[in-house]
Amino acid sequence: MSQRTERRGIHVDQSDLLCKKGCGYYGNAAWQGLCSKCWREEYQRVRQKQIQDDWALAEKLQREEEAAYASSHGAQTHPQSAAPAPQPQGAPGHASLGPFSKFEEKKTNEKTRKVTTVKKFFSPSSRTAPKKETQEGKTPSPSISRHASFDTDQVSKDFVEFLKNLQKPGREIHKQCRTFIMNMSSKKDLGADELSECVQDFYQNMADRLMSHFKGSSESVEQVMDQVEKYIMSRLYKSVFCPETTDDEKKDLATQKRIRALHWVTIQMLCVSMDEEIPEVSENVVKAITDIIEIDSKRVPRDKLRCITSCSKNIFSAIRITKNEPASADDFLPALIYIVLKANPPRLQSNIQYITRFCNPSRLMTGEDGYYFTNLCCAAAFIEKLDAQSLNLSPEEFERYMSGQASPRFNSSEVDWPQTGPAPGVAPANPVLAQLNHNLELLSGLSSRQETLMEAAQSLQADLLSWPEGVQREVQDILEKYPLEILPRTASAIDANNIDNDNLPPPLTPQVFAG
Amino acid sequence: MAAGGTGGRTYSFKVVLLGEGCVGKTSLVLRYCENKFNDKHITTLQASFLTKKLNITGKRVNLAIWDTAGQERFHALGPIYYRDSNGAVLVYDITDEDSFQKVKNWVKELRKMLGNEICLCIVGNKIDLDKDRHVSVEEAESYAESVGAKHYHTSAKLNKGIEELFLDLCKRMMETAQAEERLKGNGASQSASSRRGVQIVDDEPQATPAGGCCSSG
Repeated sequence: MSQRTERRGIHVDQSDLLCKKGCGYYGNAAWQGLCSKCWREEYQRVRQKQIQDDWALAEKLQREEEAAYASSHGAQTHPQSAAPAPQPQGAPGHASLGPFSKFEEKKTNEKTRKVTTVKKFFSPSSRTAPKKETQEGKTPSPSISRHASFDTDQVSKDFVEFLKNLQKPGREIHKQCRTFIMNMSSKKDLGADELSECVQDFYQNMADRLMSHFKGSSESVEQVMDQVEKYIMSRLYKSVFCPETTDDEKKDLATQKRIRALHWVTIQMLCVSMDEEIPEVSENVVKAITDIIEIDSKRVPRDKLRCITSCSKNIFSAIRITKNEPASADDFLPALIYIVLKANPPRLQSNIQYITRFCNPSRLMTGEDGYYFTNLCCAAAFIEKLDAQSLNLSPEEFERYMSGQASPRFNSSEVDWPQTGPAPGVAPANPVLAQLNHNLELLSGLSSRQETLMEAAQSLQADLLSWPEGVQREVQDILEKYPLEILPRTASAIDANNIDNDNLPPPLTPQVFAG
Repeated sequence: MAAGGTGGRTYSFKVVLLGEGCVGKTSLVLRYCENKFNDKHITTLQASFLTKKLNITGKRVNLAIWDTAGQERFHALGPIYYRDSNGAVLVYDITDEDSFQKVKNWVKELRKMLGNEICLCIVGNKIDLDKDRHVSVEEAESYAESVGAKHYHTSAKLNKGIEELFLDLCKRMMETAQAEERLKGNGASQSASSRRGVQIVDDEPQATPAGGCCSSG
């Protein structure tokens, strides 16, 4: 069974597959329907010329630059063969075959624009002012390239470190990977599918060899394969991600535009079983969106897959909290579509293509990551073909929403969200807005309560200040009313003070007389 | 690699679950993998991708079960899900004639796209509701036979017939994989060239269902 079918488009017609020149070989859409041989023959000359032109331009610019600033940045601007290119080197990379497509025109425009801006720096008569300007414009590029090469260096270091544990076969693996990367760098002109073929063949050979080395222990093989993938793909990333030989970038832009046009799609239309009113759910939704946007920032296919998996897990948590049962695919796919629509992840198509082309096939086909990735492909395909029926809308409604004449949020708000805020003027379809209003209400309630509290505190303070006075006055009153009287000593007191009372005659005792 | 069997004893199989929403696909697979039904205490976060490790006649089998979204509007996405799968479990609800009709559509599509490489199981679920049966046993079984699929009766609620279903399916997939390996050995075809061959076979039929789905969906 094939590992490669994954990356095929959904609808390809048999007749479309053959080379348009009728040579009997299979053609490729990326080569305008020609086979690799015919394509090369057809466009080699055009391309060659363009490459030469670009090189000439780049060299000219560089000479100019060097001549002008030889003293200050002589060393910096020399192109290093391995380091990812600063600007002058990047230019020949842009030179590519399809001078016929609009997209290419755009690229060329970009290029010329870049050139003119660079030229502008040189044109003013005074030499000192622009010097500073250029320096400012220049600074980011060396730092970026240094940063990138630092990353790849780190990866290489890790890779070597990992292979050390394997001893001799480890050295062999390292050698093979290096040779492979060298070979690949000479194949930059190939189409994306051919590059993918090379990488996949390399994986296949490597996996077969490792399999016989580890005697069928698939875990160890997978471990090594992951490292191999990480190493070679972080090296090749720049040249094979969204290459100009494909229309990936065009598709990215189309998808992005499409998603933007579908901004009005609500969670209800997709029948997603996530209730964003619950704070944990909306937290998970936010995390899922972050994860899916993160995909674009990773270089290694497997890291990209990990982002998708983490996004999926967050969606599952959200569904689990809402429904209180494990999420089935019936719940998951709509939710993922909703997340994609909300996130509008950058370069979605390029990333999908990159993963299908260069990911280790065993991971993509069977594992859990592969399942989530397949769902993401489904979501992208669904969004592309989405129509009135798939949202349970009438075609007229769909048209009106698409053209921006109407917004479903205001129409359906009262029906769908009866529980949200009492304020009728607010569009409650947006749960975030509802939350905001709720928070505002809470805040105003709090502030009024604080005011009363302050008032009470002030009156308490006043009370406290007046209280001692009051007490003093009362004491005074009482003192005046009942002045202190010194009473004469009582008889018993006389005895008490008498120390020598032993010498005294005994007190008189009453005597009874008869009478 | 999806065909499994690489390097000896461990087979990895991918099985897709197809069928209309509400026929009990999820319950079926949760019963099989977790032995739970409608349980509020199910620990798993999700029931859309589940795996099961089996040991069949001394051979290890890793089964990955892919649930698919059953709603009609996602029908067109089927090919993305079932490509490279070794088996398909097509579930219908015996009390729902329509869901059986959907299964028939799936069978047609799968046979057209993947030929005989894929092992098909047609499953009548919810036999605990036999009194409301709307799809007759004879009809279902004779249909399954006519398309080279096996038919099973299951109840996720009563845990009936599910073990047998997946065990049978695994055995059949192993047979298919072994037959394929033998064929490869005889043909002595290199992996790269065989991959190329499959690509084209795969591409050809994919054109048709896309059109078909749009008209039906």
